[in-house]
This record gives sequence, structure tokens and C-alpha cells, in this order.
Amino acid sequence: MNTEVLQVFDELLRSPRAVAERSRAGGDLRPLFLAALSALVLGAGVFGATLATSRGGLQLLYSGVKLPLAMLATMLLVVPAFHAIAAGLGRPLAFSGMIGLTLAAAGRGALVLVALSPVIWLSFDRGLSYHPGVLLAAGCYALAGLAALDLVLRGVGFDARGFAIVSLFAGVLLTTGGQAAWMLRPFLGRPSDASVPFLRHRESSFWDALQRSSLSSVGVYRATRRVSSAAEEGLTTPRGEVPDESR
Amino acid sequence: MEQSLPTIISASSPTLGARLTAPETQGAAAELGRLAAGLGFAALYGLALGARSGGMSLAQHALAASAGLAAVATLGIPALFVLLALVNAPVSPLAMVSAGARSLASAGFVLAGLAPSAALLSVTIESPDAAAFVTRAGLTLAGGIGLYQLTSAVRAMLKELAPALRLKCNALLFAFCVFAIMLAARVWHTLPILKGVA
Repeated sequence: MNTEVLQVFDELLRSPRAVAERSRAGGDLRPLFLAALSALVLGAGVFGATLATSRGGLQLLYSGVKLPLAMLATMLLVVPAFHAIAAGLGRPLAFSGMIGLTLAAAGRGALVLVALSPVIWLSFDRGLSYHPGVLLAAGCYALAGLAALDLVLRGVGFDARGFAIVSLFAGVLLTTGGQAAWMLRPFLGRPSDASVPFLRHRESSFWDALQRSSLSSVGVYRATRRVSSAAEEGLTTPRGEVPDESR
Repeated sequence: MEQSLPTIISASSPTLGARLTAPETQGAAAELGRLAAGLGFAALYGLALGARSGGMSLAQHALAASAGLAAVATLGIPALFVLLALVNAPVSPLAMVSAGARSLASAGFVLAGLAPSAALLSVTIESPDAAAFVTRAGLTLAGGIGLYQLTSAVRAMLKELAPALRLKCNALLFAFCVFAIMLAARVWHTLPILKGVA
């Protein structure tokens, strides 16, 4: 069993086609599940903790736990959508195979995140500030997502219909995963916070936040409802705007 | 480019998705069952949306989500059959019921698949506009897949036709698609979440 798990672990990186075929073939998928789940927990945990090096302390532990949780929750939520989209577009897969394929893809993506962790750490160590850091992390997620979707594509078929299925699934994955991670934030830790919260209160949505970070990283701060109260306390920028650091 | 073979599912144990979207025409009762399953699945998406407000909103959203598909089934598909029959297209009532059932079952199944994600998004997104946007995206995705299934099924019936007649039928099919989109959008517009109700 252990040898087989290690073999699948290797296949996740080197041979996405073999992993895809293993998922589709059915049979005993336990080694695949185990290897992919280990890769996911380990990879996302390491990446989460690395993100938190910008803040340090308890945030390292919190982010190392929360990022794998966010990925697992996303997986649970999107597998039915993947199954339905594939069936609706004429590529019905067995549900267990679909779970195996999605889990393997998530595991592969998490391993890519591990590979990108040193880049993140070095960037923060060299003084990368908060908002560009958020965007760098988003770029890493995008790369990991591409590696994951490559495996999924081999599972549903490398043709026009397969591309359509994977593109639609990617849209669902991005929306759901983004929001799930948003609910479990902070991963980097707000620089102005005196203490580190495990979870932040519900606020806005992932897409609003990504838009704000993009603008903030180029020095454009969007005025928020807090402006008036912040102005009273003398906390606004010279242009009368409030920098948002909610990620 | 590396070629990967599509999945082959054992004929003895097709998945629920495969059964709902199978192109084979079954008996009228089986087709109506498939249609009802599609409407029931669509209601799951509505329930997920209704979780944003809870209470009566659950039932309102469930009804409205199914009603969009039901409207297309009752108002659109019979009209398409009549129009195709008028130009002498070789379509039978049962084949049309089968195509409609397959299409609505696919759309409903996709909506049901999206329901877990929709529940997370509708409950956790604060902005009513963003919640309405993701709701519309889900409905568009499912409706698009349903229309794809219907047009594929109808076009398969028209394969042997002379080019001129096939062109007429395709024009009718296109007009039907526009009508179906407008009709479903009209009915789905009654979803409270699309009106910005928090």
C-alpha cells in the first residue's frame, strides 16, 4: 500500500495522464485518494505557512491549517458541479472517478504551491509589501490551478469538448474556491492588526477584495464607508481615502 | 497533442447523470420522469439560493428556479414541434418530448451540481449585486447546457434533410433558442435574489 501511495505521489508530478487513467478506470482508488490527500494537506499547509511569514507568530500556524481546509472545502463543493457539467456536455464519468480526478488535481496543484513557496518567502524577506504580496499569492494560485486543470483535462478528454468542460468547471472552481478562502482569511495577516485573529468577520466578497488589492497595489485606494469615521479620527490618507487591508 | 480517450461507462450501471442525459428515446412515461427529475433538481439550486434569506424564501427560490425550466418545457417545446412540423421536418412528438426531457434534465442536473457552491456563495457574499451576478452565472451555465442538449438532439433528427429545408429548420431552431432564453430569463427574474433582496 505504502509503495503504491509513493508511486501515485510520483505520478501526480510526472504523469498526469497515468493518474487520469487510474481515476477513470475505477477499481481500488484508495492509494490515489491517500496520495492526493497527503499532497493536498502537506502542500497547501506549507504554502499557507509561507504566506504567513510576512506576519510571523501564530499566523504561521493558522494559515498552515486554514489553507488546506479551504482547498478541501472547495473540493467538496465543486465535485457535484464538475460531475453535472461533464454529464450535461456528454462526458458522464463515474462519481468515484470524478472525486479521484478532482482530488488528484488538487493534490498536484498543492505540490506546485510547495514549489512556489520559496519564491513567496524570499519576496517577503526582501521586503515585498502587503498588497503586491496578495497579488503574488494570487499568481501562485493561478499557476497551481493550471497544473491541476491540466490533469482534469486529461481525465475528461483532450479535445474541444474536454476544453469546454474544463473551462466551465474552472469558472465554478475559481468562484467557489476564491470565496471559500475569503471566508477563512486572513492568510497573510493585516499589517495594522495588533493581534492575529483566526478568522475575520464576514465582509464583502473575494472578487471585491481582488479588485481592491489590484488597485491598491498601484497606489489607488478606493474610498469606503469608513471614510467619514476614519476622517474623524484623523486616519485617512492625504487624499482623504482609507487604505483597505482586509486580506 | 496528447490524446486522452473519453471515459467509457459500463452500460449495465450508468451513472445518474448518464441516465438523465442519454440520447436514446425512451417511452413517454420514462421521458416524463426524466423531465420531472430535471425540474426537481433545479429546485435544489433554488433552495441553495433561498438559504441567503431562509424561511419562505427557500420555497420561493425553489419554485422559481424550477419554473424557468418548466416554462420552456410547456410553452417553448410544443411550439417548436408545431413549427418544425409545419415545414415538414421529420420530427415525431415522442422524439421531441425526449429531446425536451433530456435538455431539461441536463439543465436541472447542472443546477443541482451547482447548488453546493451556490449555497456557499449566496450565504456568504454580502453585496446583493455580487450575489445576483453569481446566481445569473449559474442559471446561464445550466440553461446553456440545456439548450446545447436540445439543439444537438433536434439537429440529429435533421441530418438527412435537403440543405434548403435544413436551413429553414435551423432558423426555426435559432428562433426557438432566442425565445427560450428570453422566456427563462423572464421567469427567473422573479427570483428574489436577482432583485437584490438580501
